[in-house]
Amino acid sequence: MNGLPDLPTKFDVIIVGAGPSGSSAAYLLAKKGFKVLLIERGRGLGDKNLYGGRVYAPPIREVWPQLDKEAPIQRWVTKERISMVQGDKAITFEYKAEKKISFVSYLTQLTQWMSKKAEDAGALFVTEVTIDEIVMKDGKAVGVRSGPDFIEADVVVDAEGVNRLLLERLGIVERLKPDNIALGVKEILKVGANNIESSFNLNPDEGVAWVIMGDITKGLPGGGFIYTNKDSISMGLVLHLKHSIDFIQNGKFDEHVSKLIEEFRFHPYFKPYWKDAIISEYGAHLTIEGATHFMPQKFAYPGLLIVGDAAGLLLSTGYTFRGVDYAVYSGKLAAEAVEFARNNGGFTYENLQIYDKNVRSSFMYNELFKHRGAEQLMNDPILMSKYPSILIKVMEKMFEGEYKQETVYDALMQALKEEKVGPFDLISQAFGLVKSI
Amino acid sequence: MRIIVGMKWVPGTTSVRIDPKTGTLIREGVPSIVNPHDMPAIELALQLKDAYGGEVIALTMSPPPAIRGLEYLIGMGVDRAILVSDRVYAGADTLATSYVLAKAIEKIDKEIGKVDLVVFGQETIDSSTAHIGAQTASWLDWPYIYYAHSAKLIDNNKILVERVLENAIEDWEVDLPAVIATHMKALKPRPVRLLNKIRYKVEKPLTTWTNNELKLDPRCTGLKGSPTIVAKTVDVPEVPRKKVIYTPKDGEDAAKWLIKTLMEDEKASKALIKALKEGGGK
Amino acid sequence: MSTSTQSSEKKKEEKPMKLEDILQSDIWNVDEDPHIIVDYNKCGNCKTKPCVYLCPAGCYVLSDNGIVFSYEGCVECGTCRVICPLEAITWNYPKSGKGIFYRFT
Ligand SMILES: Cc1cc2nc3c(=O)[nH]c(=O)nc-3n(C[C@H](O)[C@H](O)[C@H](O)COP(=O)(O)OP(=O)(O)OC[C@H]3O[C@@H](n4cnc5c(N)ncnc54)[C@H](O)[C@@H]3O)c2cc1C
Ligand code: SF4
Ligand code: SF4
Repeated sequence: MNGLPDLPTKFDVIIVGAGPSGSSAAYLLAKKGFKVLLIERGRGLGDKNLYGGRVYAPPIREVWPQLDKEAPIQRWVTKERISMVQGDKAITFEYKAEKKISFVSYLTQLTQWMSKKAEDAGALFVTEVTIDEIVMKDGKAVGVRSGPDFIEADVVVDAEGVNRLLLERLGIVERLKPDNIALGVKEILKVGANNIESSFNLNPDEGVAWVIMGDITKGLPGGGFIYTNKDSISMGLVLHLKHSIDFIQNGKFDEHVSKLIEEFRFHPYFKPYWKDAIISEYGAHLTIEGATHFMPQKFAYPGLLIVGDAAGLLLSTGYTFRGVDYAVYSGKLAAEAVEFARNNGGFTYENLQIYDKNVRSSFMYNELFKHRGAEQLMNDPILMSKYPSILIKVMEKMFEGEYKQETVYDALMQALKEEKVGPFDLISQAFGLVKSI
Repeated sequence: MRIIVGMKWVPGTTSVRIDPKTGTLIREGVPSIVNPHDMPAIELALQLKDAYGGEVIALTMSPPPAIRGLEYLIGMGVDRAILVSDRVYAGADTLATSYVLAKAIEKIDKEIGKVDLVVFGQETIDSSTAHIGAQTASWLDWPYIYYAHSAKLIDNNKILVERVLENAIEDWEVDLPAVIATHMKALKPRPVRLLNKIRYKVEKPLTTWTNNELKLDPRCTGLKGSPTIVAKTVDVPEVPRKKVIYTPKDGEDAAKWLIKTLMEDEKASKALIKALKEGGGK
Repeated sequence: MSTSTQSSEKKKEEKPMKLEDILQSDIWNVDEDPHIIVDYNKCGNCKTKPCVYLCPAGCYVLSDNGIVFSYEGCVECGTCRVICPLEAITWNYPKSGKGIFYRFT
């Protein structure tokens, strides 16, 4: 083909995408002695990866026990904050965490670390190559194609992430629809380590994870986030695409989306945290809203396992995002399934189906269904704009009375009236919210 | 045919960014790329190999990070690569660089096999001297043609090189071995291929030569061998341009639209009014 | 040698930046060929033109003659493909590792 007769053109497993999910599968499979080809379209420096900023460590430690010591961790999250914003006003809750459960990191660095681990373990890691197609034969995945080149494998692991062009081309999933997709827009603001520690009141390796709800998104369902790196702040917005389109259609949104993040950057309540900062990077990426609707029908097909975002394994509750740890964990389940198949007579569909079963009985699947309602509620435009504004009004009436101070009860009742929400709606919706998140 | 193609690993210019607040340059984490003007040279070398067989060897004198660039070239189809890297080569100007490259080419010629052709890009985006091709040819005492757009082999020992100039197309017949430099717009490079990348990872067709191998007099290399003195450099940051396509109905419409668009821009409108007042067009 | 960068860092008054200026913080290695192709014929029938508002890199601009798309500054998020109501967009990733180059995010 290329005049290169001794090149390997057949592998045990080909993994498409060296994000967290692909890297974890490649690492474990290489360690188990499989002949693994890991293919990434970027330069292999994590350069195509973008997320919010905080990663839950425990599932990742199952794959890389050395995570805490070796990974490019910026800060451990010791403070959780949630803010409700209305205009220039804000209510903020802060929770001081004790355990080292989650950390802030740059996803580029973290994925680079993970894919390097896979390569060091013996996976053949090829970068700068975009796969065009997962090749099927008689209903079974038999390899991948990029341009004129076909490489064969017993098992293909699809770790291509949320856009999942390859699965679409195979007809395994439908064309991506805005209904279950959100757009994340993010900026890295360089501020200096000292500034972060003093303005957030932190020790040197401690960090903050901060979720912002309310009209920070101009009424568009979604929210904002702030995470502290060593000497920079990750901040950004997540916008539900379906509602954004509806808003544009109804004339309720006629600005460019980048204006929203600029307004967030200049919001008087948040701005002091990044005073004099320089924008080091601006970027955007899609993410999943409503994972249970986004999932493919099955996680395992003949010769094909689907992991990470491509499999819809991302938990977004409105106050936390768990994508990276789910991706890594699903990579682990995929690797275990391939090993199981090898030890039980071969890579038959029957054997590989253990992956499907194991995903469905994992903590991830359980959590995703448990929180299913939260996504609906979080994406309810009324809920997301009314409640913060009711709360803010209550606070206003409680704290900003020049002579007269309202009781909490009166303040609440007045606020409900002003926002045209009945007390029973409030109770039932609040109950729904608490139950599902 | 044995063809050597030169490559320089340069900071991507689109990456020289200004801090919009302070107007100063930000260079943090700026990734390097294969000098874009080398791409037509690589493509030409690969096309010649496709047509006449043989091998293409990529050559660079650079610190080790340039290996990523050599990997890219092998991904495109280059057969193997040689990195010439040594502390005594550091700080070289074009004279000292071309000297080392010429010596490396002689070594390839002697030890790997007869070299027929050396192809360079027109110039580099980080220094734009366009010296290297000519100087290397002088050291080797081989004929040199620049602004090459295409080339083909004739009589097995000559190449026919087409140069496209502003108002002429010239065909030159040159005896091999020869050095040519391609025009920066000559050819569109082919993409990286999966099989080539696998080959890179499996075979690692990459050799590093230090001065232990080349055995050059250090007085002729690096900073010591460089007569050029850079008196001063001024960074001129790139201004990002916005593309606007307008399909006019006719000439008048086009003129109207252009003036309207220019008038909408603060700086452009001022300049335009000034020019109109002064009755420009001298 | 003393650096002159410090002194030249004169501070301007802070105000929200234009997207073009924000995008200066990013790095691309632009592919020779566009990875996204827009069928402008369909755009004529598109009432809301959500791409103009929601493409985070501002690659879709509405001019007098309709939509103009430039692929060079694309950050490869995929939004336009998902929101385009008329499926006017043929969307792919750039090849050979080209395109956006994130360093942090
Ligand atoms: C705005 C935003 C905020 C988020 N916040 C968080 C957070 O705070 N915490 C958290 O845990 N998660 C968060 N996530 C989710 C998290 O980023 C993802 O769940 C996680 O990255 C998924 O990993 P993955 O390996 O499945 O896919 P990806 O990380 O998307 O990796 C897929 C890889 O495949 C490559 N690829 C794709 N197609 C091809 C192809 N055809 N050929 C070759 N290579 C290909 C891509 O270049 C990419 O490197 C966030 C996501 C977004 C968008
Ligand atoms: S959304 Fe699609 S059809 Fe509408 S203007 Fe944009 S590209 Fe064209
Ligand atoms: S992929 Fe994203 S950045 Fe690129 S053009 Fe589409 S919406 Fe814009």
